[in-house]
Amino acid sequence: MTQQEILSTDALPYLDIADADFSIRSQAVLDARDAAWCARTPYGLAVLRYDDVQKMLRHPKLRQGSYRWPAHSGVTGGAFARWWEQMLLSQEGSEHARLRRMANPAFSPKLISSLIPKFQALANRLIDGFAEKGECDFIAEFTEPYATGVICDLLGLPFEKWRELADIAGDMGLALAVSYKRDQATVDAATERLFAYAEELVALRRAEPSEDFIGMLVRANADTDQLSDQELLDMIVLAIFGGIDTTRNQLGLAMAMFIEHPEQWALLAEQPDLARPAVEEVMRVRPTVTWVTREATETFTYNGTEIPQGTTVHLFSQSAASDPAVFETTDFDITAKRKPHFGFGGGTHHCLGHFIARGDMTEALKLLAQRLKNPRFNGEVLWLPDSGNTGATAMPIAFDAA
Amino acid sequence: MKVHVDMSICLLHGQCVIAAPEVFSFDDDGGLVWLAEVDESLAADVEAASDACPEQAIVIG
Repeated sequence: MTQQEILSTDALPYLDIADADFSIRSQAVLDARDAAWCARTPYGLAVLRYDDVQKMLRHPKLRQGSYRWPAHSGVTGGAFARWWEQMLLSQEGSEHARLRRMANPAFSPKLISSLIPKFQALANRLIDGFAEKGECDFIAEFTEPYATGVICDLLGLPFEKWRELADIAGDMGLALAVSYKRDQATVDAATERLFAYAEELVALRRAEPSEDFIGMLVRANADTDQLSDQELLDMIVLAIFGGIDTTRNQLGLAMAMFIEHPEQWALLAEQPDLARPAVEEVMRVRPTVTWVTREATETFTYNGTEIPQGTTVHLFSQSAASDPAVFETTDFDITAKRKPHFGFGGGTHHCLGHFIARGDMTEALKLLAQRLKNPRFNGEVLWLPDSGNTGATAMPIAFDAA
Repeated sequence: MKVHVDMSICLLHGQCVIAAPEVFSFDDDGGLVWLAEVDESLAADVEAASDACPEQAIVIG
């Protein structure tokens, strides 16, 4: 019997999350969350409620599941799939722990305070570029160069490299949408370019050792039992790719939320200290990572539902973090005290770069709210599918310069 | 050195177990257990665990 047949006998609601038109914010998701703790999907199960997502993020019978994403998308082989299936996020147990220990020092919260002035300078420089016009494409002129510029700062690259890195990350990011197979040639070409880039960076640091992110990893690679040459490159590619696409998308989603809630934007401008909780609140209601993927390593029963070995389980971060069973009010409110959201995943695979992401998004929102008054949409906003890793690819806005 | 975990904010991600397995572990029920007093030879591991904790729940005394 196939996995699909076992699950189809269940009385659970069904969500066609493989459809590019499926929306994580649709009424169907809300109805399914009311009806049951999980829904069937073309891939397996979707977990919809807060308490269950929290438990399943670190359930001992579940492993990280997105290593199967290429196969699920009908893609076999190619540079992206090779990297995706072997990098940190796709590893488990002692292999994962070894790689994670190698990477952690480069993402320590102790490094953030020295980066804050750089984040501020970068944000102001970008805002200076369009403030007088009273309009911009918020993605092309702010979130993309900002997210990429932060990576340039971390890697010790000049800001001028941002365009090239952003283009590569954007093309690679197509792999995370349900349309991956259609875009595979573009995805793989971009992946090969990023690996060539990583090799160049490594060669430079081997010739001239440094204390930055790449320098630290190159030192770890001196003992190839700790970190092999391939693992070194895989890690650098993860750091670059993981930091650009996500932050670019999340800041765009933040602006969209604030445009829909202008009183919250005005409040943020008045009280800059709200920028940090604002990042959390945006990620609660509108995370770019709309689901986290797990896979059953053996058959087990949860909430009376048998979950067969090999079942893919999508943990719906957005649905869970707006669960009315847990949140008294779920309206967007940057002053509300909330339970933690799942926008950075959780458990052993909790986002590696979250201290940096939280830091750079906080500084960006703080300065944007002070300098851009009354932001509003100023043309058609183009969106990725509202599932998987989502966000805007173009967002024309108008505003009153402060 | 003394080690304490603020269980009111700990979300049991287990990053400390990865960073300092000789100090932090999960019991059979999935609860976090740790050595409250550790030798200085493990100081670097404990600090790495404290840094790696996403909730910043580890207090080193």
